[in-house]
Amino acid sequence: MRIGIPRALFYYLYYPFWKTFFEALGHQVILSNPTNKKILKDGLELAVDDACLPVKVFHGHVVDLKDKVDALYIPRIISIEPKEFICPKFLGLPDMIKSSIPDLPPIIDSDLSIYKNKRGFYEHAKSIGTKLGHTEKLTARAFRTALKKLNSYKKSQIIEERLPLDSGQKSFFEDYQSKNQNYGESALKVLLLGHPYNIYDNYISMNIIGKLQRYGVKVITPEIIPTQNLSAGSRYLNKKLFWTLGKNLIGSAYYYMDGGQPIDGIIHLASFGCGPDSIVGELLERKIARSRPVPFIRINIDEHSGEEGFNTRLEAFLDLIEGGSRR
Amino acid sequence: MECYLGIDLGSVSTNFALIDRYGKVIKKIYLRTAGRPIETIKNGLKMLREDLDSDIEIKGVGTTGSGRKLASVIVGADVVKNEITAHAVASLSQIPEVQTILEIGGQDSKIIILRDGVVVDFAMNTVCAAGTGSFLDRQAQRLGIPIELFGEIALKSKNPTRIAGRCAVFAESDMIHKQQLGYKVEDILKGLCQALVRNYLANVAKGKEIKPPVVFQGGVAANSGIKKAFEEELGMEVLVPEHYDVMGALGAAILAKKAISQNRQKKTNFYGFEAAFKEHRAETFECGGCPNLCEVVQIYQGDKLMARWGDRCGRWSQDVAV
Repeated sequence: MRIGIPRALFYYLYYPFWKTFFEALGHQVILSNPTNKKILKDGLELAVDDACLPVKVFHGHVVDLKDKVDALYIPRIISIEPKEFICPKFLGLPDMIKSSIPDLPPIIDSDLSIYKNKRGFYEHAKSIGTKLGHTEKLTARAFRTALKKLNSYKKSQIIEERLPLDSGQKSFFEDYQSKNQNYGESALKVLLLGHPYNIYDNYISMNIIGKLQRYGVKVITPEIIPTQNLSAGSRYLNKKLFWTLGKNLIGSAYYYMDGGQPIDGIIHLASFGCGPDSIVGELLERKIARSRPVPFIRINIDEHSGEEGFNTRLEAFLDLIEGGSRR
Repeated sequence: MECYLGIDLGSVSTNFALIDRYGKVIKKIYLRTAGRPIETIKNGLKMLREDLDSDIEIKGVGTTGSGRKLASVIVGADVVKNEITAHAVASLSQIPEVQTILEIGGQDSKIIILRDGVVVDFAMNTVCAAGTGSFLDRQAQRLGIPIELFGEIALKSKNPTRIAGRCAVFAESDMIHKQQLGYKVEDILKGLCQALVRNYLANVAKGKEIKPPVVFQGGVAANSGIKKAFEEELGMEVLVPEHYDVMGALGAAILAKKAISQNRQKKTNFYGFEAAFKEHRAETFECGGCPNLCEVVQIYQGDKLMARWGDRCGRWSQDVAV
């Protein structure tokens, strides 16, 4: 069976697992095209107005895929860390898609929640296996293979500091070439905070990573920071942040600021209409404004963003941090 | 005499600043862009040439503003810099102790925070242009007041009325309503100044620590009513530098001077004032290479392709070395 995976949202975190898992079950995985103008336009037209930009983009990817596949994989993701949640829009995603987009192939919308315990991940896989008519034995084997692959991928991502960036049609997972060039000791280091589906989608992020790298800046994102450092960083908060992605952002910032790690600047790329980001952004701003040890900028992206204004801010910010290092 | 030229190609105005080797402003020009950026640059070049002594030698050129790339293609620039850095550099050259820069231009407004002569933070207005120069222009026009007199009239007000300044559209309808109720023009204008300042401080300057000396620059700094409203709201003196209207251009000129002086061997890229008499035209086409359908802009000088931009992937812009 051809199973379609939209190149959006949690694709940037779980694609290594999904691809391996479906292939181990004997299916073919088909990805949507990298985000482009048409995908964005379709998403904007079809999604409900209240949705945030990345969710709208997801709609566009579904449109791009739906006629090329036998089934679409749109999991109902509730929680990806024990005792934590992700944004409720993910919970309603399969329903939003079903109600907004006509003529869809069957949708595999199994729940994924590991709020109570890590077994939830296996339960998720089992439910997919059952839906596709596989034996539990085969599903379990595919699950173990895929989990191993995901874990080894994540490990190498951190060790090699490899950002999950697609190059053209090729997925970040297939493209094994290390994209992190050799940065000298003197290279500026910038911590780029943002949800994976915003910062790694070259179209949506207006290629912020590529632009920074072209200036010779070493880009650090939460995905290449060791997990224990993220949780160490997020412990500085008075109250636990129960959104996993938000926690990762705050954890990264605190780890670099309080942990004495050298960093030249922090960029928070937030998307318009993101509820959790509005709070995370405020927390970051307060934390940084209090002592201002590190230059900080928040850039909001939305479907109307002009690239010119975006570049101006980015260039000015780099001028700012360069000026700071000369002092 | 050795000189450096700065050009700030903005949405509403295009400014030129010519400085000597000591950074002193010799000549400045403030022109309305009037939707024709290429023409305006050429007009500015012509005006410069007519006014200048023949012994002037342009050693370096810097461009800034939202049209900095276009300006660079037409005149041949040594430095192409974003307007935030340019404004900060210019301000520091005039008032070295500056800690806060309020800049309100034709369509954007910025705040730049400096400490010890270094930019530490900045912000720009995002999607909303309420309270920038073009809005003030339009309101002055609607009330039949020359924009130059706006501030002066506002300062006469004794009982400013409260205008809703959140949004330019609502501000306008609120002003019309206040007129219909019989408020005096000066009270409405003063109220508008206060509303714009409130809006600026609540949006652009949100969360920023404003410390003196505060410098107010950009075209809107000509408006004494807005300056006064800033002073009242902030409770501190607001300085308007002598060359407030061409600060971006001044900054670009200073940056060009710096770039050239760092490398004495380097010759300027400046095409000379003759650039003003060459024919330039811009053409656009839609690239069908992928579903992005980028609009690619091509700038020609005569038949020679000078620059291309607008493509996301670099397929077109890579072929042309600017």
